[in-house]
Amino acid sequence: MANTETCLKEALASIEGATGVALVDYTSGMALGTLGGGKSLDLTVAAAGNTDVVRAKMRTMEHLGLKGQIEDILITLTDQYHLIRLLSGRGGSGLFLYLVLDSKRANLAMARHQLKKIEESLEV
Amino acid sequence: MTVVDAPPPRLPVRPRPSAEPARGGVSPMLTRLAAERATGALIREHGTLYLAEGRVVHAESPLTPGLDVLLTAHGTLKAEVWHNAVARADERHGAARLLLSGGHLAEGALELCHLGALYDAAYFALAPSSTPGRFRCGIAHRLGPVLPVAVADLEREVLRRRELLRRIWPDARPDSAPLVRTHATAAPGLTLRQRTLLERIDGTRTATDLARELGRQAFHTLVDIRRLAAAGLVAPRDAPGPAGDGETPAFAEQSAYTTDPHITLLKRLRDALEAL
Repeated sequence: MANTETCLKEALASIEGATGVALVDYTSGMALGTLGGGKSLDLTVAAAGNTDVVRAKMRTMEHLGLKGQIEDILITLTDQYHLIRLLSGRGGSGLFLYLVLDSKRANLAMARHQLKKIEESLEV
Repeated sequence: MTVVDAPPPRLPVRPRPSAEPARGGVSPMLTRLAAERATGALIREHGTLYLAEGRVVHAESPLTPGLDVLLTAHGTLKAEVWHNAVARADERHGAARLLLSGGHLAEGALELCHLGALYDAAYFALAPSSTPGRFRCGIAHRLGPVLPVAVADLEREVLRRRELLRRIWPDARPDSAPLVRTHATAAPGLTLRQRTLLERIDGTRTATDLARELGRQAFHTLVDIRRLAAAGLVAPRDAPGPAGDGETPAFAEQSAYTTDPHITLLKRLRDALEAL
């Protein structure tokens, strides 16, 4: 049983190459918690903007009649990876974890695996 | 010949409903209480904010479902467990501590649900009001502290939420009026959440009623309703005219409901232009 803050700290500390993490409510676009990011990346702005990404994908899946759930969404930049992991709470919690990785240092498969573990420890 | 160089009178401009009276805060009183690190309850027209040492620890509004509804509606917590914890809560052990120590709820789940409820109620509590707020010093909420929020963060989020709603659909009437379904010419595909909401719109329920029934945050419901309004699927029911003009609510509802696509389009266009 972990609280929000320890989960975010664990994400930054244990995932190789992680530079910022946010927990976001995708209906309102609000970041419920952020850590890292620094001056170069305003995580609250990134949180609000990425809700549109999640919403667009979900709407497309509804239109296509796909029954599966989104586990995560990966966006690759020239020097960064952005990983969005939807939290599967009871009846869909409406939250996602947003992780920013330095692509030179990160191991994508490991990052995905660790983010899943952190999601489970949050027990939403 | 005299030359009149007085400037022409300004054209009348409709005041923007979302315009802020002044930059730098939604409530000067709240900003002052935060600076003074006050503890107590700030009671405003549409809700109450609880402060501890200048930070917001809880918020409640009659327009939003409370934390109890959000936690019990989807089976996260049993209603009797909640009532039991609230009844046993005292000044040293808030209800939140009791729920966690009893193992009824994970800490992360409580924190996130509480933060959601806090920001939800604060959005309505900090809405522009016609009466001044009152502050009652030293009052604490039975829930006890969970995750306190800085006043500046809360105010920034309230302003961001107002702007988000305005961008989706600029007319604020569907937020508070009873809602009716209208027929759109080319309705977009809806999400499951939106369909569930749309099915319950019957000409009497308001956004607040729907949020409480579905156990969803009221602001989330407003976001969905404004999207449905923008799609032309939902409209606020016209307020019944004063008694004696012969227009009953049923008639008003009928006139809001028309199947002629051209009239529907023109009405939406008019509403959008009026709201600008």
